[in-house]
Amino acid sequence: MDKIKKVKRGEKDYPELLNYIGNPPEALYYQGDITLASEPLIAVVGARKASSYGKWAAYHLSEKLSEYGIGVVSGMAYGIDAYAHKGAVDYGGRTIAVLGCGVDICYPPSNRALKEEILKTGLVLSEYESGVPPLPFRFPLRNRIISGLCIGTVVVEAGLNSGSLITADYAAEQGRNIYAVPGNINSVSSFGANKLIKDGAVPLIVFDDIIDELGINRSEKKFMAEIELGEDEKKIYDYIRINGEATTDEVCRNIGRKPSEINSIVTILEMKGLLQTALGKIFIAK
Amino acid sequence: MYSQVKSGSLYGLDSEQVMVEVDLSPGLPAFNLVGLPDISVRESKERIRAAMINSGFPFPSKRITINLAPAGTKKEGTHFDLPIALGVMAANGTVKKSVAASFAFLGELSLDGKLNRINGALPLAIGLRNYGIKKIILPSANAAEVAAIDDILLYPAESLGQIVSFLKGKEKIIPYAKQPEEDLRKFSENIDFSDVAGQETVKRAMQIAAAASHNLLLIGPPGAGKTMMAKRMSGILPEMSYEEKLEVTKIYSVAGQLTSDRPMITTRPFRAPHHTVSGPALVGGGASPRPGEVSLAHCGVLFLDELPEFSRYVLEMLRQPVEDETVSISRIRGTVSFPSRFLLLASMNPCPCGYYGDPTHECTCTQNQIRSYLSKVSGPLLDRVDMHVEILPVKYSELAGLGLDLNHSTEANKPKTSEELRKEVERARQIQLARYGGESICYNSQLTTGLIRKYCALNRETEKLLENAFHKLSLSARAHYKIIKLGRTIADLEGEEQIRLHHIAEAIQYRSLDKMYRGMVMVSPR
Repeated sequence: MDKIKKVKRGEKDYPELLNYIGNPPEALYYQGDITLASEPLIAVVGARKASSYGKWAAYHLSEKLSEYGIGVVSGMAYGIDAYAHKGAVDYGGRTIAVLGCGVDICYPPSNRALKEEILKTGLVLSEYESGVPPLPFRFPLRNRIISGLCIGTVVVEAGLNSGSLITADYAAEQGRNIYAVPGNINSVSSFGANKLIKDGAVPLIVFDDIIDELGINRSEKKFMAEIELGEDEKKIYDYIRINGEATTDEVCRNIGRKPSEINSIVTILEMKGLLQTALGKIFIAK
Repeated sequence: MYSQVKSGSLYGLDSEQVMVEVDLSPGLPAFNLVGLPDISVRESKERIRAAMINSGFPFPSKRITINLAPAGTKKEGTHFDLPIALGVMAANGTVKKSVAASFAFLGELSLDGKLNRINGALPLAIGLRNYGIKKIILPSANAAEVAAIDDILLYPAESLGQIVSFLKGKEKIIPYAKQPEEDLRKFSENIDFSDVAGQETVKRAMQIAAAASHNLLLIGPPGAGKTMMAKRMSGILPEMSYEEKLEVTKIYSVAGQLTSDRPMITTRPFRAPHHTVSGPALVGGGASPRPGEVSLAHCGVLFLDELPEFSRYVLEMLRQPVEDETVSISRIRGTVSFPSRFLLLASMNPCPCGYYGDPTHECTCTQNQIRSYLSKVSGPLLDRVDMHVEILPVKYSELAGLGLDLNHSTEANKPKTSEELRKEVERARQIQLARYGGESICYNSQLTTGLIRKYCALNRETEKLLENAFHKLSLSARAHYKIIKLGRTIADLEGEEQIRLHHIAEAIQYRSLDKMYRGMVMVSPR
């Protein structure tokens, strides 16, 4: 593993944008490539307890950002944070994890594998020295660094008390852009993000919105071709696409087929990478 | 003055003949019982004395010695009352020794001379039959239960007095004739699958489970209808055969769970022990081994509601019965085996509070709580569960049958009755029995890896799909074989010889826990 290095305020590699926040850290401890922290970055944050929708959104949003060479910053927690990092890593993009403890500590421990993947091309940093334990009060504090490093912060999914709303507050204080991914209004895990939109955050209707917002010229990309879908497959795929999510029973009733048939077609669509199932429901995968 | 009367003693589900020897000799009045009687047998002295006197027979004031031969095995049960009383009377000369010797006796006496119902009458009678005994006198309350075996003459009696008159030739007792079997489906008539609104997917999964006795786990929030559905499971299993009924009735007889209303178990059992159940209550045990819930569920359904709430130690004990289909309990006297071939049906919430993934309630659990909750059921027991299916609460429109989104109300979504589902299950079982005629197994769920190769050939296209699924859904090797087995069952339900692509594709949907864990261990969601 790389050695843990330190960069002080005023030194060349100290991230430029951090100088403009209210309470900049005096020094940063890091592993990986510190120059990444001075590139254009977007924070992708959200609740630890995420729905399948939230995980999906975080993953693919990061993928999209990586596609355009924008680094993804997040907190390496469970849920949205982890999927945000994962989306970037899987695409081959670069990502920064900002920790609320010493860089040598992996918290939560189950994200060890993820941390190693991040370090291959990215950066893990913290304002705390090695060995500082992850205590609850440190996480809100580190959120100011997450938003401070970035030109904008996207809240993917957040309940009413989610820590990611603190990140959004910091971003507002620091004068950075705030984006939110809208969710169903009947979903408790989307209240926070939707409320941000009400308060003035920019909603991301499609992922490309953020690219446009950043002023990047989007090259014409081919719409994901609907690869040779059979008639029934198309019916089911369309139904899910319109409704966002559905249970097998709902699909059965609306398409008028038996559960056995629906189940087998859903598997085929899962294999084709168009749908995914979780917690008894079917979702769009892409 | 010596006499000898036949009776039987029970150990586990097996019984052997016991000779009740009575000797009356002059001396100080005494009543000695030898031949390793336990407390319940030793207490019979008092009942016998009172019953004889109250029935108007003299109780000999002699030195009475009773031996239960073979004297080396322990005897228990109150059914020794009647043979001992008859032995005393035969030795006394109240009844003729030769007449008393031509019958076997089973029965408990009450103090006024009436005969009480006993436990284990059916296995006792079966054991006595194997010793060549053709005539048994027993309490009339037990007659209907024992009538299941037909090559034996049963003389049901109400009281000690009646038996003595009968043996003296003064009164006739008409041998019990088997009653035409009543349809005892009353219970299952009241609960039918057509009562369940919606949940067609879960019904389908339960039917597949029933078709080949696949163990099934239902996962869903409170109020989704897990228990309601589970209760209807035994109603879609095929009718029991005569041998099965006899075997199950034997177990219930030993456990003392037969009543005069239900002398014979004719419908498949449904057992739902509470999650506080102790190990011995679940798998059987005790100083003299008694069948536990797994054996009482033999040939039927064992339903474990709220699976993670059961203690881990108790769940571990389930492994052997599920695997071997029999429970062995070792005691100092030897080992007793009770059969335990059941369909394991379990249910659980997706998280401790129950609302993870529920669209209308907020889940209050932390990610770590959910993790540890799921890990409670992981491991060896889950390996023996073929199907896991998620179940969500039905919407009001479905409940009320308002058909708000029933634009396509066709035949396909009219709920099937338990009867219809059972017919299909029975057909699938016939196909399996015919196919496995030469093997030692009966259903697809019992297929071993070797037999899967023999009977579950997949075509190229299907192989490809499985391979694809293997990588995309990161399935384990175990899940791989379970999916093939499920595919075989789905094909059988549809009456198809060859396992086709859509059978396997459907089967993959019944492994939702594989995916749930996948979500937890963080693999990319594509």
